[in-house]
Amino acid sequence: MSTFDHRFSRRRFLQASAAVGATVSLGGITAACNVVGQQGGTFNWMTWGDHYIDSQLKAIEESDKIIANITELAGNAEGFAKLKEVKGQLDMISGDALWVPAYYDEGLIEAININDFKVASQLYPLAREFKIWTVPGGYLGYPFGWSPISIYYNPKFVDPAPDSWEVLLDPKYKGRVVVENQPEEIVAYMGKASGVEDPYNMTDDQLATVKGLLEQLKPNVLRFAQQSIDSVNSMISEEAWLITGNLGNEDRVKEGGGPEIKSFIPKEGTVGWMDAEMTVKEGANKSLLKPFLEKAEQAENIAANFLAQGRPLFNEAAYKILVNSGEKDRADRYLYNKPETVNSMTLKGPGLSTAKSIQLFNEVFGA
Amino acid sequence: MSAEIVGGAAVAPPTTMTIGRGARLRQLAPFLPAGVILIGLFFAPLALMLVFSFWQTNEKLDIVATWSLQNYANFFDNPTYVRTLAKTIIIGAGATVACLLMAFAIAYFLARYVPRRWATIALLAIVVPFWTSYLLRVYSWQAILGEFGAINQVLMGLGLISEPSRLFVYNDASTFIVLVYVYLPFAALALYASLERFDFTQLTAAQDLGARPDQAFRHILLPQIRPGIITACIFVFIPILGEFLTPIMVGGANGLLIANLVSNFFRNALIPEGAAVAFMIAALVTLLLIVFRRYLQIEDVVARG
Amino acid sequence: MANRVDPLETMPVSRYARSVSRGLRLWFGLMMVFLYVPILFMIVFSFDESRTPGLPITGFTLKWYEVMLGNRVLLRALGNSLTVAAIVAVLATTIGTMAAFVLVRGGIRRRNAARIVFTMPIMVPGVLIGVALLIYFARVLHMPLSLVTVVAGHLTFTVPFVVLIVAARLQGFDRALEWAAADLGASPRRAIRHIVLPLIAPAILAGALISVTLSIDEFVITWFTVGAQATLPTYIYTQIKFGVTPEVNAVATVLLGVTLAFLGVAALILSRGRALSGRLRRRRPTA
Repeated sequence: MSTFDHRFSRRRFLQASAAVGATVSLGGITAACNVVGQQGGTFNWMTWGDHYIDSQLKAIEESDKIIANITELAGNAEGFAKLKEVKGQLDMISGDALWVPAYYDEGLIEAININDFKVASQLYPLAREFKIWTVPGGYLGYPFGWSPISIYYNPKFVDPAPDSWEVLLDPKYKGRVVVENQPEEIVAYMGKASGVEDPYNMTDDQLATVKGLLEQLKPNVLRFAQQSIDSVNSMISEEAWLITGNLGNEDRVKEGGGPEIKSFIPKEGTVGWMDAEMTVKEGANKSLLKPFLEKAEQAENIAANFLAQGRPLFNEAAYKILVNSGEKDRADRYLYNKPETVNSMTLKGPGLSTAKSIQLFNEVFGA
Repeated sequence: MSAEIVGGAAVAPPTTMTIGRGARLRQLAPFLPAGVILIGLFFAPLALMLVFSFWQTNEKLDIVATWSLQNYANFFDNPTYVRTLAKTIIIGAGATVACLLMAFAIAYFLARYVPRRWATIALLAIVVPFWTSYLLRVYSWQAILGEFGAINQVLMGLGLISEPSRLFVYNDASTFIVLVYVYLPFAALALYASLERFDFTQLTAAQDLGARPDQAFRHILLPQIRPGIITACIFVFIPILGEFLTPIMVGGANGLLIANLVSNFFRNALIPEGAAVAFMIAALVTLLLIVFRRYLQIEDVVARG
Repeated sequence: MANRVDPLETMPVSRYARSVSRGLRLWFGLMMVFLYVPILFMIVFSFDESRTPGLPITGFTLKWYEVMLGNRVLLRALGNSLTVAAIVAVLATTIGTMAAFVLVRGGIRRRNAARIVFTMPIMVPGVLIGVALLIYFARVLHMPLSLVTVVAGHLTFTVPFVVLIVAARLQGFDRALEWAAADLGASPRRAIRHIVLPLIAPAILAGALISVTLSIDEFVITWFTVGAQATLPTYIYTQIKFGVTPEVNAVATVLLGVTLAFLGVAALILSRGRALSGRLRRRRPTA
């Protein structure tokens, strides 16, 4: 009988200790995360990790008691798909360029009156007037940042200085190219390389040409980066000589202890993005968004964001701050004061040929 | 049938024969929560996905009820899917064999030469890596295998090579190594559970009767631990069919496996297309399970008394 | 159960026996090194001065542990993971054990088919289950995503594990013990509670252990079914996307340390208990 008691108590002990352990850790952590009062409130924001800086969020929490509960936005299509399913569980979501009207057409977001925002006066005027984001009901989102996709290269190994997408296909650079793990974008790059104007809506003929380019690209790709920091690291360690990415990577490579690299926008033209914060139509905490943005989009915060991430943003007043703090050089290098560049890029968005593009990508990069 | 139920003992239970309907239901009642979970959280959602796999996506990325075999036809028309599935099967089979061989030596050592208490500790030590993040472990392998990773640095430091070797840099070999690394503990546990029940004195007896060691091994040991071997195979091979994180992180551009192709669809909100390919994988798995159904004994994977 | 006889007594006369045993010992050591090298890297990087984990190591610092303690998002994710794992373990173990009883004793005719049915959730690619659950929760059940849906998703594959492990153990169970108890006047329920459960406790425990292990590091299904919360694996994934900073390594190291400590304590208690029960058990005819 004592055997059974022993086993029973052993099992009980372990179960109890597991429960206690879980409770204690949970309790400890909830205590540590004891949130500030309930006057402001919490809203759910799905966005990319470079849209905010933790210290800024904390400051807004303290001053306005508004807490941003952030979930990671993996990509436009994934965010779109998820929002379609969860609807009111999110309050604010970020999105690129032509995805924004897609969200609107689907009834997922609502338009805002951009000129009601005091902080909107700090924006470049053109950021408030993009046709693709204007609807009768107002403006579809609060503009944040933008960037064309450029190609970066390490001049030590890449010679002569390239100016075209074709450099990615040059057999000289076998296994030295790192691109981001975004199949539809990689197909778009090759679309641009083949001279297509809108690589998100390609015809079957255009796709056939792109297929050939993708097959040339395949042996050159070292790996797919999960996000830009992986590409940057590849340049730092010099295992890659060519990468694609947003503006601003030269400094990031330098700061990581890497070599001097150069960048260019391919002569065939490039794709690019500009993103905005959208208000979810069925969001329960919509009322918190305006006060939050009034604080979060202030020039000081935007300037800090630029210094951390490197790609240009739509806040004009922040440019003045950057100039005054001696960063004019850097800001100009990354086209901060030239937001009209967005008009020369092909903007990202959902396309009619996405399914075919993915099929094409699978076909080339599969076994 | 009653002999089957009572665990081998061919003695009739003292309880009576006739069981009324109510008692039968009460007997099956404890199964209810599991049944609800199985049906409600597994079969129902998958049935929905199966239906979707026969539908299409429109330009607004909605799933529309246009019935069509297009997605499945694509799987066979577009040669990449079959080729990638074949490649995944090959890498999976290779990794399974490697895991089996490596894990067998571990399990045999622990079962035969190590006292029970230490064997348990050793097994826990093997399992403990599971308690750290899978993502971080694979990420660490990047630092080991990369061009400027640990292996190359050691080899260069020892003067064995003058330039960094690109042997394991983002290719199928890397994927293979990391997959073996990730699934080795599974194989070790499954094999140990089987070996632990084996009576090693049989080997001595066989040799006393004149068998060579390898004969004893092949004719006495292997047949008896066959369930464990099959379990190990299943627990290594089948999850590899669904692996997409490892190939992307260490496999490079040429290392995509079939689950990567599926996730490419899902990440672009192309659910019907992705579902079709995923169900082809699931169909293959179900086929394998049916073929090996007799061996599906999951022994105590943690060896306790 | 194999009798624990001294190997030296039963060692075959083969000449190679000793070198085989030595070879196996060496192999075992090698394998442990193989298993732990990436983990050591992970731990070492948590002390690395440089912001991006990778060789070479630039300097040693504890600052990432400080940052980790101040990172509320990370700590909240950790808390969520632990909560979910605890709940999943309790639920999966209970539900699975109950189902195992019915599976083994309920007179189900096609046992192999039942086994296949229970094995399927483990074998279907996680991506498929994740997407399926997301759509199912949203469109069919109209359930908001939260830790509840995460727990539900985890139960999908942990319950089968528990069922299969406990069923395997239950199948070899000697029912004579229960009938003896019945002869002595115990009701079926009492017999189960005091005889069967304690004896299959190791299997139940193994099932619970596996449930916790699988749940804590579950990424794929969680990614699809989580609402506005984060669990540790999803947090780590977002970090990997934006650049793993060593604070993630710090968390993993701490988690590892806590686990080892916990297991060490459990092992001590178990070994002491087993010494007693082992002696008692050897006197019974069957295990």
